[in-house]
Amino acid sequence: MSLLYDEGQLAIATESRRVLEARIMPDALLPLLEQSGQYHAPYWETAKEQGWTALALPEAYGGLDLGLVELGLIAFQIGRSLAGAPFLTSSFGAARAILDLGDEGLKNDWLPKLASGESIGAVAFAEGQSVLGTSVRFADGKLTGTKPGVSGGLHADVAVVLANDNGTPVIVVAALDGVTKTAINSFDNSRCVADLTFAGTPATEIARGEDALDAARHVLALQSVVTAHEQTGGAEALLERARDYANTRRAFGQVIGAFQSVKHRIAEMYGLVELARAGALHAATREGHPDFLKAAAAARIQATDSYDTCARDCVQVHGGIGVTWEAGLHLHMRRARTLAMELGNLFFWEDVLVDCLEGEAA
Amino acid sequence: MSDLETFRTRARAWLESVAPTYGKAAQTHLAYEEKLALGRRYLKARFDAGFAGINWPVDMGGQGLTHIEKVTFETEEMQFGMPTHFFGISLGMPVPIIMKFCEDKAWVKERVLKALQGEEIWCQLFSEPAGGSDLAGLRMKAEQDGNGWKLNGQKLWTSYAQYSDYGVIVARTDPTAQKHKGLTYFWVDMRAPGVEVRPVKLAGGDSHVNEVFFDDVKIDDSHRMSPVGGGFAVAMATLMIERYVATDSGGFGPHLDLFVSLAKDVEINGQPAIKDGRIRQQIARNYAMRNGLDAITARAMLMMQAGMEPGPEGSLNKLVSVRSRQKLSELAIDLQGTDGLHFDEHLSVKDNWQTSWINAPTGRIAGGADEMLLNTIAEKILGLPQDHRPDKGVPFNEIPA
Ligand SMILES: Cc1cc2nc3c(=O)[nH]c(=O)nc-3n(C[C@H](O)[C@H](O)[C@H](O)COP(=O)(O)OP(=O)(O)OC[C@H]3O[C@@H](n4cnc5c(N)ncnc54)[C@H](O)[C@@H]3O)c2cc1C
Repeated sequence: MSLLYDEGQLAIATESRRVLEARIMPDALLPLLEQSGQYHAPYWETAKEQGWTALALPEAYGGLDLGLVELGLIAFQIGRSLAGAPFLTSSFGAARAILDLGDEGLKNDWLPKLASGESIGAVAFAEGQSVLGTSVRFADGKLTGTKPGVSGGLHADVAVVLANDNGTPVIVVAALDGVTKTAINSFDNSRCVADLTFAGTPATEIARGEDALDAARHVLALQSVVTAHEQTGGAEALLERARDYANTRRAFGQVIGAFQSVKHRIAEMYGLVELARAGALHAATREGHPDFLKAAAAARIQATDSYDTCARDCVQVHGGIGVTWEAGLHLHMRRARTLAMELGNLFFWEDVLVDCLEGEAA
Repeated sequence: MSDLETFRTRARAWLESVAPTYGKAAQTHLAYEEKLALGRRYLKARFDAGFAGINWPVDMGGQGLTHIEKVTFETEEMQFGMPTHFFGISLGMPVPIIMKFCEDKAWVKERVLKALQGEEIWCQLFSEPAGGSDLAGLRMKAEQDGNGWKLNGQKLWTSYAQYSDYGVIVARTDPTAQKHKGLTYFWVDMRAPGVEVRPVKLAGGDSHVNEVFFDDVKIDDSHRMSPVGGGFAVAMATLMIERYVATDSGGFGPHLDLFVSLAKDVEINGQPAIKDGRIRQQIARNYAMRNGLDAITARAMLMMQAGMEPGPEGSLNKLVSVRSRQKLSELAIDLQGTDGLHFDEHLSVKDNWQTSWINAPTGRIAGGADEMLLNTIAEKILGLPQDHRPDKGVPFNEIPA
């Protein structure tokens, strides 16, 4: 796979942008912040209707057989427009775990439904400060315990769960009927984050031991590449807003963009966006290669830093207007922070990356 | 194998074959003049091997290939630390610009051939005490003198002027015009009477930059390379002519794997430094950023191969990488504790943290200071306004000094 987009890929970018810009208005996203557990239904309908849920899954299970580069392009546009729900990434993570590790029965049970969007998937690995938490117990085919703060968990139909079987890490797949889902009131409520409490929930094991931990890291890496595109899209939207505002807002007899502290801040944002974009695309082209985890970790770190910084600086460039509810820049501030945490914080990814590099250096 | 890969393989094979004679190892403990002599021999060998002037016309002694092969060769060559820096400016800007703007093609060809073979060196006499970032603020005077011109004034920061045979120069021919409009572009013979070169010692200990004084230096009108008053445009063309160059996400300092090795060798609080969270974070952040720069470069190469114009993001490399090199070098010295105090100014900035650190600031100033690069990104790429410029539209001789 190449770092240069082909015509088909560019068409995906253009079309997804057109659809999202026509249908997703930030106004619709603001009220969701004040209601825990609600997502933006028109956004999710669009994702299903456009086939984005099917994009990176195999044709044999109702997918479109495309890959991370294409899904990344969609995620980038979604990041620009702000996703009204986290399900594209959460379902993709769950589907990939099932696809890569599950048996044919499990794949047939879930993949077609995840591809069509009829079912929503969640990835439940983290527990508090532990990105790969294993405190939930798995015994005799049943799960017991709580996975806190699962993104998309409130509406998910199936979860891929990291647990332990008598102390040995395992990944299991569990249908979520009958599981207690407790919504968390978060600063970014359309993520529909929930605590999932399992009480003897039937589940199917798909990986065990060190393999389970490696597989968990791999699933997070796949999701991270998608998210790095989303973060880059968000950062780019903020760069453009900052630029446009700096070109129109006047103070002291000139547009504020003529003040170097403003102008240079925006130029630095440009650098951050381009570094994030390049890292994300590079990682997307490395799937299947030995350096994929390294490339994904690097993409995640750069994109996270870029989005956070652009959120901070774009608000600053806007002055008072920037901190109003109406202006909605806080939607990006919130999203930048949520995306920074959802797939493991930077401490985790910095360790993953340095572990890779340590192994290489003489 | 694609043609480009065949070319790369051939280039690498040749570079490897001559590395023992000219590469990094051959240069340790050579005096400066000896390094220059080695550099001249390397250029001759490179010319004979058919790797000189890669994207220049065949009838000028070049290879008639494209800038893709040029960048590919430079990228390979960089890894061997060949003694090319004396000729970097010469072959990068002045020589291509005389090919483009000088009328006397026979004379140009003679110069190009000598420059390609390391026999002659050209310097670039743009900056002055009063004109660095603000190039058009320069004061060097060129007055009409019979059929020719007479130069008076001072240039500053002229790299390798002491070894140069010729130079390109921008001078003010009309102080009553606005600052950009009163400039004219010439070439000069650095051995002409009235030219005096005085080396300036830099912080890192070397003296490759110079002050150059011009005292009634007479030149023929045939030295003029721009219309009278049209020198600024040619100066800009000079700075733009080498748009495609090999970049280095290490900021032309040590690469990150060297830092990782160091962090494995030294300890913090009794454990390997690489286990220390502060160090891990720096490694990870630097890697992520350099990885982005490398991907930008790789994409630019692919775009060029596909016949497309690479995006403007290539301009980020120097800005971002040199800052990172500067800080990482400080950190590497910290890591070494009292061992970090050892200094040998002759060690290469590519693999010694102390020389990398002491010389890093020049990378943030030469070839466009960070602030100017940010201005360019803001204005040219993002469409933000120019700074307030009180000297705009004012005749040069009425700008308050
Ligand atoms: C090692 C070295 C080699 C060099 N080789 C050559 C050479 O071969 N030929 C040649 O002609 N020149 C050469 N130069 C000169 C180089 O191009 C100038 O040093 C550079 O352009 C900066 O100019 P200056 O030193 O006058 O600094 P100044 O222009 O005085 O800058 C001082 C500070 O002010 C800032 N500043 C200036 N204007 C602005 C602005 N509009 N907005 C914000 N900040 C601003 C700068 O960014 C910088 O931080 C070399 C310099 C070095 C260090």
